[in-house]
Amino acid sequence: MTVLASVSLATFLVTSLAATQFRSQPLPPSNRLARDEALRKSVNQLEDQNRVLKAHVQGLQADVKAGEDESARRSSAVQQVKALLDDQKVIAGLIALHGAGLTILLHDGTDPNDPADRSLGWTIHYQDLQDIVNVLWASGAEAIAINGQRIVPNTAFHYAGVNILVNNASRLSGPYTVTALGDPSSLAGGLGNPDQLAELKSRSRIYRLGFSWLRSPHLSLPAFDATFLVKYAQPLG
Amino acid sequence: MLSRSAEGTARAQRLIVVSLIAIALGFLLVVQLRSQAAVARTLAAQDDTSVALLINDLNRANNQLIQQGAALSQQEAQLRQALTAGGSDAQAIQKELTTLREVNGEVPVHGPGLQIQIQGTIMDFELQDALNNLRNAGAEAVAVNGQRIISSTPVQSRGNSLLINGNAVSSPLSLLVIGDPEQLGPAADLSASSLQTRVQVQIQRQTDLAITEVVTPRPLIYAQLGK
Repeated sequence: MTVLASVSLATFLVTSLAATQFRSQPLPPSNRLARDEALRKSVNQLEDQNRVLKAHVQGLQADVKAGEDESARRSSAVQQVKALLDDQKVIAGLIALHGAGLTILLHDGTDPNDPADRSLGWTIHYQDLQDIVNVLWASGAEAIAINGQRIVPNTAFHYAGVNILVNNASRLSGPYTVTALGDPSSLAGGLGNPDQLAELKSRSRIYRLGFSWLRSPHLSLPAFDATFLVKYAQPLG
Repeated sequence: MLSRSAEGTARAQRLIVVSLIAIALGFLLVVQLRSQAAVARTLAAQDDTSVALLINDLNRANNQLIQQGAALSQQEAQLRQALTAGGSDAQAIQKELTTLREVNGEVPVHGPGLQIQIQGTIMDFELQDALNNLRNAGAEAVAVNGQRIISSTPVQSRGNSLLINGNAVSSPLSLLVIGDPEQLGPAADLSASSLQTRVQVQIQRQTDLAITEVVTPRPLIYAQLGK
């Protein structure tokens, strides 16, 4: 009797699990996987193309600079314009810089796995990066980069689904390192001000989301990896 | 003896049956858990919206980079031509200088775009988000209530006031944005849709608007040239 009961119970369990297993089998994965694969392939191809195009633009920038340097050597009038151009390149982020400043480290926190909390407060959003950069500018930052991408006058932060993009679709992924050149005390004072970034600081406590900064006497910032096109705005006068 | 032996055999059989069933159960359980994890992974990877948005952005960026390459090739050819002829061409350099001054917000500019009026009090992050959306849609020059704005212009709330680069601006806010109206329109609509529950937003297309304010570049004290 005992054996029969055990066997019956076990058979029942096995059958129900087998049934559940059968029902939970994803639909024949061919369509899903094929679509997934095709999309991933497109992204990879476009990102490869993006890298090649950036390298091409950088090569051309070097050629143009060589032409400009040579032109300036031949004419003092050109030399004067070239000096003004060099100043504008520095301001626009087209020149690598180094100096004292702050390194800010950010990483996602812990997913609370709480059905009542669907805020995604444990992840770093592009608005967090935008807010930090804004506080840094307000605190006297002279130049900023995130994960090696220089923040330039027309930089916009953007969500493409789960990806954070800046500067010609450069994909940023965590952990994030924001590097800012400027007076380290002033920059740290801005970030540490309790009135600033209050929501991010609160999420950092709740979800153990990483948000810290380090002062440094020597930091390097890369130049912007592309150039600028102006199509609609014309100088007045 | 016999009955004891039969009892032992029955116990052994029972043990074997139970063990087999336990193995089968364990196996199925593991497969079950694994298949659930695989389904979860597939779903994560299958975030079609994310991938589609990324593809869209990459296409747009790559087109921009192609155009940048074409402009640089033209500039290089112009410089090279003058050098080959034994002279030098200030025009190509002057053109680049003008472009960078526009990008840096250092010259008054005009062109097509949008005028956006916001009647009511908004927070710093709301204006930042709106400006970010417009820049993402290719805004080439922006001013808010007489303050020229580039990405390094801080926007902060101080009580009910907004500070742009440390200067207080108050409602109504008037945003002037130069760029492709076709691209800027949807970006402005997006911002308006989130603001319109509390404040009035009016968006007007302009064939030509002027932004006369300029940005004063911040001096570099801590930053030095080079890597």
